[in-house]
Amino acid sequence: MKVAIELEVNNESYKVEVEPWTTLLHLLREGLHLTGTKEGCGLGDCGTCIVLVDGVPVNSCLMLAVDAHGHRVTTIEGLAADGKLHPLQKSFIEKGAMQCGFCTPAMILSAKALLDKSPQASEQEIKRALAGVLCRCGSYQKIIEAVRAVTEGLENGA
Amino acid sequence: MGPKNDVRYVGKPVSRLDGLEKVTGQAVYSVDIVVPGMLYGATLRSPLPHARIMEMDISEAGNVPGVRAVVTGRDFPFTFGTVIQDQPFLAMDKVRYVGEPVVAVAAETEAVAQEALEKIKVKYEELPAVFDPREAAARGAPVIHDDLEKYVRSDCEIIPGTNTCTLNAYSLGNVETGFRNSDEIFEDDFYIHAVAHSPMETHAAVAQYSPNSEEFIIWSSTDRPYRLARDFANGLSIPLSKVRFISNYSGGGFGGKGGMIAEAVAVALARFTRGRPVKVVFSREEELTASHTRHASFIRLKTGVKRDGTLMARRAEITWDNGAYAASGPSVAKRGALTVFGPYRTPHIELVSRLVYTNKETGGAYRGFGTTQVTWACEVQMDIIAGRIGVDPLEIRFRNGYREGDFYINGQTLHSVGFRETLERASREIGWGEKKAGKVGTKARGKGIAATIKGTNTPTDSSCFIKVDPDGSIALLSSSVEIGGGQKTVLAQIAADTIGVPLTSISVPNPDTNITPYDHAVASSRTTYHMGNAVRIAGQKVRKKILEMAGEVLKVDPGGLSLSEGKIVKEGAGEQITLKALLAKRFGAKGGGILEEGYFTPEGSRLLDALPGLKGMSSIFWMFAVHAVEVEVDTETGVVKVLKIVAAHDVGKAINPMGCEQQIEGAVIMGVSNTLFEEFKMEKGRILNDTLADYKLASILDIPEIIPILVESHHPEGPFGAKGIGEPAAAPTAPAIANAVFDAIGIRFKDLPITRERVLAALKKF
Repeated sequence: MKVAIELEVNNESYKVEVEPWTTLLHLLREGLHLTGTKEGCGLGDCGTCIVLVDGVPVNSCLMLAVDAHGHRVTTIEGLAADGKLHPLQKSFIEKGAMQCGFCTPAMILSAKALLDKSPQASEQEIKRALAGVLCRCGSYQKIIEAVRAVTEGLENGA
Repeated sequence: MGPKNDVRYVGKPVSRLDGLEKVTGQAVYSVDIVVPGMLYGATLRSPLPHARIMEMDISEAGNVPGVRAVVTGRDFPFTFGTVIQDQPFLAMDKVRYVGEPVVAVAAETEAVAQEALEKIKVKYEELPAVFDPREAAARGAPVIHDDLEKYVRSDCEIIPGTNTCTLNAYSLGNVETGFRNSDEIFEDDFYIHAVAHSPMETHAAVAQYSPNSEEFIIWSSTDRPYRLARDFANGLSIPLSKVRFISNYSGGGFGGKGGMIAEAVAVALARFTRGRPVKVVFSREEELTASHTRHASFIRLKTGVKRDGTLMARRAEITWDNGAYAASGPSVAKRGALTVFGPYRTPHIELVSRLVYTNKETGGAYRGFGTTQVTWACEVQMDIIAGRIGVDPLEIRFRNGYREGDFYINGQTLHSVGFRETLERASREIGWGEKKAGKVGTKARGKGIAATIKGTNTPTDSSCFIKVDPDGSIALLSSSVEIGGGQKTVLAQIAADTIGVPLTSISVPNPDTNITPYDHAVASSRTTYHMGNAVRIAGQKVRKKILEMAGEVLKVDPGGLSLSEGKIVKEGAGEQITLKALLAKRFGAKGGGILEEGYFTPEGSRLLDALPGLKGMSSIFWMFAVHAVEVEVDTETGVVKVLKIVAAHDVGKAINPMGCEQQIEGAVIMGVSNTLFEEFKMEKGRILNDTLADYKLASILDIPEIIPILVESHHPEGPFGAKGIGEPAAAPTAPAIANAVFDAIGIRFKDLPITRERVLAALKKF
């Protein structure tokens, strides 16, 4: 028995019908074709499926699509505005903060959630905010640099 | 031809070509592939480590609505294997490890496929199993492959009727004489454990079979599309032209995506779905328990030294835990084993390397290809030796370490040897020899150092096409997969500087074996050197063609022309015409383009010359690395905290220093994770920790300060002097940590991993 839900994804409204057991991850990837959100484990351990729900990072493999009804979801595809990259996206490229890139969307979204709340987050805060995402390529050091560069840029009013 | 072109991109920390796609979520990985009509596959796996399959009842599964195919090893009775064709696509008469694929189902949805699996009934007769390779090698052990001698195999010696898959022996000089002439003899046993590659993207593949053309198309994240195509063709006894691999971005490999894993199940299913493609995506549980692992190994090392620390003789006996199937094990046990003697001159050596089947997950290529394992033994023992004879651990490595012009163990003359510089710079940066910090409360600090030497599989081939379109856009077509190592960027940098065009004009599409030419693999740290050379060769031809074209169009001697940043420049007269305008003039409205090929093999290079019959052990380049580490050990909790790791690597020439740093930092973190956190918990052949909650990987909170140092020894035949970097950075981390732990608390670990439980247990005994 499918359930009708309404939600906003990357500033677009969607009315969709989902199974009660459909995860938000499944809806995004299979239903809305937003494959920038990745599944690494399906159990909430690796964090590669993180999206923002009302600005808060959520493991989308653990959230049911029906629970996203009435909420605002941001995926990596929604970050660049008018063809302009978000400062975090730019900084990740410039600082070489990715290798295989599979965890990159989740890393960037986790960092965005932090910087939206505290634009001048410290290194410790950055590490804590990103600790939910695993990166087997071990790009952590450069990821921290990339996020720090944005906090410093904001400090300078850039 | 013409004045020498400028070097604008090589040596610069250029941003990744694949960066934009990756930060916007547009990069397509195998898990993202959707093909019209696609079905979903699922696999029923063996619950037992060793058993005979007595009965299989698949009738009920086939009746589940939405199921399109149920396939067993009886329906698809083929085997595969790169060196030994010992592995069935789906188990036939026997299962040999917990997790082995037994029955595969293809259905309209994943949920239906999973539901159908539950309706399959398999009756097994359990057989005695063996999990320790030393027991498996002993007389009377249960034999895992009854028909070992009947398998198709190439280039390896087996022992029929046993679990010994391959046995290699090598000696140089006379170790007994060497030991007799030594002042001190050391004999130690080491163990290095199996670990999981754990890429964030699990294994995934889509396969499609055309009943008309009898062709298979496979979308996969493999690092070696051509070689996997060959393994398929050999396994199924079909022409290579009937297997096409299309590569996607790989969500991490580290060697683990080199085998036929999700691809095998997808292909078996696709054969029975009447042309409909089948997608197989591994769960994390399957990834951890039914893909490949690093080979665990037991290493006995006997070393004789003079009182001053000069190495006289070394004997190594290695037993590699192969797991259930050979995969790349025979090559690991052969080539990987050789670096057990480390980057040191040793006049007398002897090696026995035995690869043994056990009833466990298959061992495969893992970053370092055996070198990581043997470096563990070599470098911990170097520290033991230094300690006992009273020579500084840094000094003993300087004293014995290879220098330019030394002979390798097969008589190959070593060239571009930056080893001493890696020792000097790593030790200086860690503050080697400075006064040791005293114990504060329960926390003791220590420093350790370790080195490694790694070659590359030689000789292997690479080829590429470079295509110039009439607007000046350039496509570099090669089968080097972007597995995260920055392959696209490095190759584009080499192309841009060789041709003389802006980097932004170059694109590097993903490989497709129907289009992109042969490459051996993205493995063995070989891509920059081999494909880089192929690109240089093709690029020089393109440049020559463009300048000749310019000479014709401008009616001048092409000898006085050069190409820089896409502009034709005449010596002393400045810019004449842009490449785009030149091509427009030459081809006009009818169109046209330039196509050149580059082919490279190191075969025939004088640099490979060695003692008679031993050229096969030569490597076209040798990479050297030293890691220096500072740790803090909490004697109350057993927690080892790595504070700082300095990783000095001789890369020949850093084509992209940022890419080199990424590889080094990443491998160091992998090394820390492997050493301190990761371990399979086994019970009767079953891996109990099959989630990332229980199989612990280093997170962003666990990382030390990492200082990568790039040493450039300039290889005479490398592209712009480059060698490689992908693998060696994972090798010295573990022994450097263990040596630092010894410095901190005086406890010597010869077995990995160094978990807090083991540290605590050792402290209690101490």
